[in-house]
Amino acid sequence: MKSLEDCMGGRSFETERVALRALDLEDAASLQGYVNDEGILGRRYIPWSVADVAPLSRPQVVAILEEWSKEKSGFTLGVLAKASGRLIGHATCDWSWDPHSPSISVVIVPSQQRGGYGSEVLRLLVAHLFLDTPAHTITGWIASWNDPALAFAAAGGFAECGRIPRAGLRGGGYHDQVVVDLLRREWAARKGGCRAA
Amino acid sequence: MPLEGVLVTLREERRDDQKLFAQLRNDLETQAWSRALPPTYTEEMHVKRFDAMEFSYDRTSARLPIVYNETGELAGYISYSDLEPRLSASIGLVVAKPFWGTRVALDAQEVLLRFLFSELGLRVVHLWTHSGNPRAVGLAEKSGFRITARLREAAYKNGKLLDTLAMSLTRDEYYARHPEVADALPDPVDLLRPDAAA
Repeated sequence: MKSLEDCMGGRSFETERVALRALDLEDAASLQGYVNDEGILGRRYIPWSVADVAPLSRPQVVAILEEWSKEKSGFTLGVLAKASGRLIGHATCDWSWDPHSPSISVVIVPSQQRGGYGSEVLRLLVAHLFLDTPAHTITGWIASWNDPALAFAAAGGFAECGRIPRAGLRGGGYHDQVVVDLLRREWAARKGGCRAA
Repeated sequence: MPLEGVLVTLREERRDDQKLFAQLRNDLETQAWSRALPPTYTEEMHVKRFDAMEFSYDRTSARLPIVYNETGELAGYISYSDLEPRLSASIGLVVAKPFWGTRVALDAQEVLLRFLFSELGLRVVHLWTHSGNPRAVGLAEKSGFRITARLREAAYKNGKLLDTLAMSLTRDEYYARHPEVADALPDPVDLLRPDAAA
């Protein structure tokens, strides 16, 4: 019988195609390039204090990196495509409210979406939270207009557990914040015949 | 000028209030979330926090002591946080046990909602509680809040796994419940509808 670690592909933050690594100030140019991509405006998953739709300058991006570097109750890692060696996104685990119920987010640059990178990153981080932290459930927070992200979360095993109204305005209308969650036992069941080693 | 209700007044926080606030924080029945434990907060800690507050016009949160008008007693406090100006905020309420079962909490909640909608111009107000606190859910429903999200087993308290509940009250829902108050603030979305008056 395979162990849970085997099922997740090992304990490292790495698959055959992607690696999650710490972000550095040297990543500012790459990060600025893709957070200003029109395709991810409003779904950047950057610190709350920074505008989510306005173009960001280099100093603002540096400030984001500095803020991420100070995270004590979670982490944000860069997503590296191993084939190209390029930074193609970032992903966050946050347990600042309660390690019992951390949240997770994954951002992939639009040109690299639909290639399965995000799913691999999600699998790594969910496995990390359930194997290496006391998380009982994991939540995700997605704008209701973000259909690809909602489908992505559902494919990753997350279930919609509500819609918080009027989370913001976009294109002349209000949108909701959709909350999704995944319980540890649901994740364990999805892993098939795996057992903790 | 303090915010006046029928039974209560919400006023600015004072140094003298901190003794009760520490007691409420240390009471497992009035403390909704276990993340704030252990129950070893002291009045001195609260005074220190109070003394550290600085003047700002950019307030995104506030804690308002609830004064029971009939006796002048401090009954607890009500707060808002996570303010997105002109859009949303989340409220929280803690009332001392001698005032449970009275209408003090409901009156305080209504006073704060009136302030948030008619002074701050918010479009929605949220609150967070859990399934082990039916008293809080019932109180919120009395003001028109409805459960908008149920995060399964996301809270653990008193030896039980509990669902975290998000409850929300939109501006139009609030004013529909209060026909005595006219809402003079146009909805930005309504103004963009094709059939809106020029």
